[in-house]
Amino acid sequence: MIRLEDVTKWYDGRAVLDHVSLHLEPGMLWGLIGPAASGKSVLLKVVCGLIRPDEGRVIVDQRDITKDKESDIMETRRKFGMLFQNNALFDFMTVGENVAFPIYWGSDIEPDRLRSLSVKRLQDVGLSGSEDKVPSELSGGMKKRVGIARATIADPKIVIYDEPTAGLDPVTTSKIYDLLRNLQQRNESTVLAVSSDVQAIRGFVEHIAVIHQGRILYNGPERELDSCADPVVHQFIRGDADGPL
Amino acid sequence: MVQQNTQNGWKPIEDEGFWRRIPRRIGVSTLDAGKAAATLLWVLYRTVIGTVRGKRPKGEVLRQMEQVGNKSLLFVTVTIGFLGMVLVFQVCLQIEKITGDMSQVGPEFIKGMVHAFVPSLTAMMLATRVGAGIAAEIGSMMVTEQIDALRMCGVDPIDYLVVPRFIASLVMTLVLSVYATAISILAGALMAYTSYHVNPVMFFVFDKVTPGDAVIGVTKCLAFGAAIPVVSGYCGLTTRGGSEGVGSATTRAVINSSLAVIILDFIISAAGYYLLQSRGL
Repeated sequence: MIRLEDVTKWYDGRAVLDHVSLHLEPGMLWGLIGPAASGKSVLLKVVCGLIRPDEGRVIVDQRDITKDKESDIMETRRKFGMLFQNNALFDFMTVGENVAFPIYWGSDIEPDRLRSLSVKRLQDVGLSGSEDKVPSELSGGMKKRVGIARATIADPKIVIYDEPTAGLDPVTTSKIYDLLRNLQQRNESTVLAVSSDVQAIRGFVEHIAVIHQGRILYNGPERELDSCADPVVHQFIRGDADGPL
Repeated sequence: MVQQNTQNGWKPIEDEGFWRRIPRRIGVSTLDAGKAAATLLWVLYRTVIGTVRGKRPKGEVLRQMEQVGNKSLLFVTVTIGFLGMVLVFQVCLQIEKITGDMSQVGPEFIKGMVHAFVPSLTAMMLATRVGAGIAAEIGSMMVTEQIDALRMCGVDPIDYLVVPRFIASLVMTLVLSVYATAISILAGALMAYTSYHVNPVMFFVFDKVTPGDAVIGVTKCLAFGAAIPVVSGYCGLTTRGGSEGVGSATTRAVINSSLAVIILDFIISAAGYYLLQSRGL
């Protein structure tokens, strides 16, 4: 479904992604972990065509999006839903309008139907009655839930979660991952999740990759991550202060 | 110190020396300026295409017209009113020293206001008020990833954000300029009458305003009205970093929009003179 072949991205003379190759099957729950500024968010944005790589190919559903025009990439992006690191809720819209926006734009759905779909999805994420609030009235956890509702309202085939639990307490983190798991099982979507919270994401995904300085150091089953011999991976997943990091 | 990337990260390379650094910097600056100009032209092209056949949020153009037009009324009235009075006072002061004949003050003042001063001054005011607003709004959406979120929803940010502001600015710069012309003439007449006893009947003479003046004035309004949102939108869409980046984008929007107005003013005035006024139109 998604294939990255030798993808490289440069910023200010530095390779943020360095010959990254990946293959993701449909329905896969895939996680990406790594230290801060290792290229995690850039990799997610490259996958959905928000950032064009300088070298390599990104293939989504047999289509090479690196050669596509922006208008064609927009069509491909309809297969995606994305939760952004800082939620990226539109601050000039209400919560309900935010959630409904991916299905409102470019469609002729009646406003009443849009509202009911938005209310239903907000119920799914445990935010009943919040549709008329504005994002600034919400707590961090609530904003995450609204972001998740917006990312999944169109039932996309691929959902990307960039730091879905950043800044949340352990109880809310656990609830958010339960919610993501339920949504994934219901829609049978492919999920790409990025997190700095190693233990929480390991409990959520089946396959995991570790990225450091733009290079993938490990990509395989989550249960085999502990046996990875790379010292950087070893130090990162154990959280040791001493080591190459 | 110049740095070069290696497989293992960064390492400094030896200093190139002063004379070798200059051509490199000139080259880099030229390339950056070329890229910026190409991006600006692309934003202009996409905005024009979006205006003709793009999809816009419902009611957004009217909302932006209120932002650009209605909310600039007081600012424009006060500034243009006072400028009109100052201009007339200074002109009368000089004429009084030389000939003392005030009969041409009104007609020449009106002609100058219609084809030169009012469109430029109104646009300069809009460049500061509206341009800064556009760049700050789009820039803050850029740094909070809201622009990426729009793109993920299948929305072209130029269609959604720049095009409504472009249409609103195009219309309202013209409307505000017509309004500002009236205000400046009224304020000028009041100053001429109270300070130099110029009869309003002698002041309100529109005979000197030719069709060419009106064409130049309207062309300037449309050009300025188009330039401000495109330049400011470009500054907003190229914002990088956090709140500092938004501040920098806002400053760039005001400076570049004002520069665009001044340059376009010169080009249109020169073209207008050679094409219309020199032929008696």
